[in-house]
Amino acid sequence: MLFADFFAPYSPDFENREYSYAVPANIHFFSSEGISRPFIYSLISEFDMYHQQLYYEDITQKNLIKFFVHGERHYVLGIIPTNLHFFGTEGSEPLYLFGADSRGRDIFSRILYGARISLTIGLLGTLITFVIGTLIGCISGYYGGFIDSVLMRFSELLMLIPGIYLLFALRALIPPEVSSGQMYLLIIVILSIIGWAGLARVVRGMVFSIKEKEFVLAAKVLGQSDTKIILYHILPQLSSYLVVGAFFSIPGYILGESVLSFLGLGIQEPSVSWGNMLSEATNIATLTLHPWVLFPAFFLVLTILSFNILADFFRDGLDPSYSSP
Amino acid sequence: MKKLFFLPFALIFSLFFVGCGAPVTKEEEKTPPEEQQTEVSSEQEYSPEVGKFGGELILRVGADPKSFNPITAQDNITATVVSSIFEGLTKINPLTTKPEPLLAEKWVHSEDGKIWTFFLRNDVKWSDGEPFTADDVLFTYRDVIFNPDIPSSIADILTIEGETFTLEKIDDYTVKFTLPSPYAPFLTGMTQGILPEHKWKSSVENGTFSEQMALNMDFSDLVGTGPFSITTYSPGENIVLTRNPHYWQKNENGESLPYLDSLRYRIVSSDDTALLQFQNKELDAYTVRGTDYPLLKAQEQEKDFSLFNLGPTFTKNFLVFNLNTGERNGENFIDPKKRVVFENKVFRQAISYAIDRESIIKIVLNGFGQPQWGPTTESTGYFYNPDVSKYPYNPEKSKQLLQSIGYEDRDKDGVLENEEGEELSFSLITNGDNTERVQMAEMIRKDLTDIGIHVYFTALDFNNLVTKLTETYQWEAILIGLTGGIEPHSGQNIWNSGSAMHMWDPNQDSAARDWEKTIDTLFTKGVQELNPEKRKVLYDRWQEIASDELPLIYTVVPESLVAVYNTFGNLYPNSYGGVFWNIEQVFFLDNPKDRGGEK
Repeated sequence: MLFADFFAPYSPDFENREYSYAVPANIHFFSSEGISRPFIYSLISEFDMYHQQLYYEDITQKNLIKFFVHGERHYVLGIIPTNLHFFGTEGSEPLYLFGADSRGRDIFSRILYGARISLTIGLLGTLITFVIGTLIGCISGYYGGFIDSVLMRFSELLMLIPGIYLLFALRALIPPEVSSGQMYLLIIVILSIIGWAGLARVVRGMVFSIKEKEFVLAAKVLGQSDTKIILYHILPQLSSYLVVGAFFSIPGYILGESVLSFLGLGIQEPSVSWGNMLSEATNIATLTLHPWVLFPAFFLVLTILSFNILADFFRDGLDPSYSSP
Repeated sequence: MKKLFFLPFALIFSLFFVGCGAPVTKEEEKTPPEEQQTEVSSEQEYSPEVGKFGGELILRVGADPKSFNPITAQDNITATVVSSIFEGLTKINPLTTKPEPLLAEKWVHSEDGKIWTFFLRNDVKWSDGEPFTADDVLFTYRDVIFNPDIPSSIADILTIEGETFTLEKIDDYTVKFTLPSPYAPFLTGMTQGILPEHKWKSSVENGTFSEQMALNMDFSDLVGTGPFSITTYSPGENIVLTRNPHYWQKNENGESLPYLDSLRYRIVSSDDTALLQFQNKELDAYTVRGTDYPLLKAQEQEKDFSLFNLGPTFTKNFLVFNLNTGERNGENFIDPKKRVVFENKVFRQAISYAIDRESIIKIVLNGFGQPQWGPTTESTGYFYNPDVSKYPYNPEKSKQLLQSIGYEDRDKDGVLENEEGEELSFSLITNGDNTERVQMAEMIRKDLTDIGIHVYFTALDFNNLVTKLTETYQWEAILIGLTGGIEPHSGQNIWNSGSAMHMWDPNQDSAARDWEKTIDTLFTKGVQELNPEKRKVLYDRWQEIASDELPLIYTVVPESLVAVYNTFGNLYPNSYGGVFWNIEQVFFLDNPKDRGGEK
C-alpha cells in the first residue's frame, strides 16, 4: 500500500483513451518460437456490429513484461524520486493486468492506490471511534449520575437515527468546494461520529461493574486521582475487549467508505478508492460486457474477510485472560 | 420518452440526454455496411391507420415533476407530462417541422404580418365536458401569459421589445391577434397550450395562479383539451393519465381517439433501473445511452423490440464560466480575480481547445455523438450554421493561448501560474444524477489538468445545481445541458442579456459587453424579419459571434437512441418529435395481455 507507486505499473490518473475497457492482459509464456519470458501481444480494437469495442491480439507484436522498468516519475514514500516500477512493459503498449476501465485506466494500479484510502479509512476511523467511545464510556461509567445520564441520552439519540440517513445528512453539510484530501478526513470523521455511540454504551457498562471491584475501591481509598484510576486500573481491564472490538469494526468502516463513494458521496475523482471504482459497475451494460470492473469488489471481500479472521484469532487468544481476571 | 413538442419554444434545463433530433441522413460511420439502422421516418408520408382501442402505455420520466402548471414550470418533466393534457392553437408537425392547425382550424394574416385572425374549431370540449371557446384563448394569453404578476418564460419570448400582443374576440370561435411589430415565429409560438378559463379565472383574479396546479392538486380541476388527463399521481412512483372521453380528434371511422386507455409515466431516476425495467417489459420504451447500445442491440431480435437512431439531439452540453459582476451583502458572487480571467475570451477559447471531444464521444457516448461548436445543432435544420469557429482538440495551442494571457508553468510543477505566482484553478460542478455528464466532466477535468489547470470537480444534485445557477449565483464553472427546438428565437431566454437564464451574467439592465449588445440586436431584428433568407443571415451572425466569444463552451451533441417494443401501431419515430409524438394515434397491435410488471 505504501509502495503502491512502485508496485503499480501506472499512476491512478494515467489514462490511455484508446484502450477503453481493454480486456485483462493475457500473459503468454509460449510463442511460435517456443518458450519465452512472459509477454503480451499488442491489442488492436474495432467496433463490432453491435457498436461494441472488441479487442484482438496482434500476434506479430510481442511486448515483454519486464521487472524494474522505467515508467512515469513518482516518489516512493513521498520522498525518493524515481521512475522505476516493479513491473510493466517497455514501449507504448500498456499492460492491463486486470483490464482497463472506460477511460483506459489500469484497474490493477488503481486497486493498489485505492487501497490507501480504503484501508486507512478503516484504521483511522476505528482509532477515532475508539478514542471517543472509550473516553465517553469511561467518564460516563466512572462518574455516573447526572453526567452519565446526559452523555448516555445523547449517545442514544445518535443511535436512534438510522445510520445511513445520518451519513447522508452529515455529508450534505460538507460544502462542495472541499478538496479530496479534506473530503477523505471528513468522511473518516463522519463515519466515526456515527460509530462511537454504541461503543460508549458498552464501555460504560463495563466500567460501571469494574469500578465496584475491590482493587478500584482500594485505589480510591489510597487517594489516587480519578484520571489515574481510569487509566491505570480500569482501562487495562477493558483492553482485550477493545482490541477485539476494534478489529471487528474495521471492516465496517471500509464498507462505509465504499458505500458512500459508490453512491457518489464519498471519495470523488480524481482520488481513487475501491468504492468509487465500483460505482462504474452500477451500469448494467458495463457489468455485462466488461465484468472486470468488479475486481475491486473481490479485493473488498478479501480484505473484510481477513480482518474478520484476524479479529477471531485475537478473540480466541485474549478470551481466556478476560474470563479469569 | 416523450418530446417537448409542447414547449418547442423555450430552452429548458435538461436533466437527461433526452432528445429530439434531425432527420438521419448519414449512417454512423463505424457501423459495418451490412448493419442497417432501424428505419427512421424522416420525410415519410404520415397516414395513420385505424387501430384497436385499449391498453396502457408505460413510459419513464427521470424525476418527479415540479408542478403541473404549464405556464410557470421550467422543468422538462412537467413539460413532458402536461404535453398530452393541453393543446395549442397550432402544433408543429415533427415530420415536416412546419406549423399545422390544431385547436385553430385555419387562420389568415395581414400583409405586414401584424394582424392574425384564428378560426377555432367548434367541436372541441374540455375534458370536463365544457365547450372550448375564444374566451379560453383570450384568457390564456391576455390574463395569464401576458400577466406581469405571473412569471413565465413564454411571456419573455412572446414579448417584442417590451410590447405584448393584443387579443380581440370577434365571436365565440374567432380571435384576432394584433402584434406590435412583425413576429417571425408567431405560428410556432401559438403551440402554447390553452388553459380553461372556467377553472382558473378566479385564481388569476386573486393572484394565486402561480401556486395553482401544484403536485397535491385535485386532478379533476386539471382539465385540458388534450387526449389524456391525469387521474393519479404517486410521488416517486408514477403518474397515470387516462383517456379524455371528450377528446375531439376522431379516426377515419368517426370513433373518438385516443386508442390507448391510459398512459403511465413511471418515475425512475436511475437509468440502470430503467434499463432493467425495460428489459422486463415494465417499460414500453427506453432512451438508450450509447453505452447500452451493444447490450440492447444484441437482444433486439430475441426480445422483439426496435432500436431507433433518431440522429443528433437538440441537447446542448456546455461548460459555462461565471462572469457575474454582482454581489450580495458586500460579497462578490465570484472572486473578482478569477472573474477577470474568465472574462477574457482567449481563456475560454483555450479551454475549448483543451477539451478532447472525440474521446468524450467515443467513451461516454460510445460513438453516438458529434462535437459541437456553436449554439445550434445539426438537428436545428435550416438555421443551423456549420461555419462557426471550431476548436479541435489541441492542448499545445491551448497552452500557447494561456501563455499569451500570462499563464505559464513558471515553477515547473505542472500547474500554470501568472506573474504573481497564483495558480490557475477553478471549481467545476455538474448534476450527479446524469452519469454521462459526470463522466464527461471527469474527462474534461483530466484534459485541463494535463495542460496545467487545477480543476476541483464535484457532482451535485440537479435542483441544487439549478439553484446555484439561478438564485445564489455562487459558482465558478458548470457543465450543464439545455434542450431546445428548431426555432432559433427559442434561444432568446438564454442569449438576451436581460434574461434570468442568461447564465454567465443574468438579469443585466443593459448589455455589459459589446458582443452581448450585438447579439441582443440580432435577436430583436431576427424575430421581426419575415423573409427566411434574411432571417438566416442574422441568426448565422449570432452563431458566429457566440462561437467566437464562447460564453458557453459547447462540448458534444449526443444522438438520440430509443428502444421501443414492437407492439405498437402508428409509430412514426422522428428526430423532432421522438417516438410517441402522435400519442392519440398510437395503439397496441395485439391485446396487451402478456405484459410483465404489475399493472
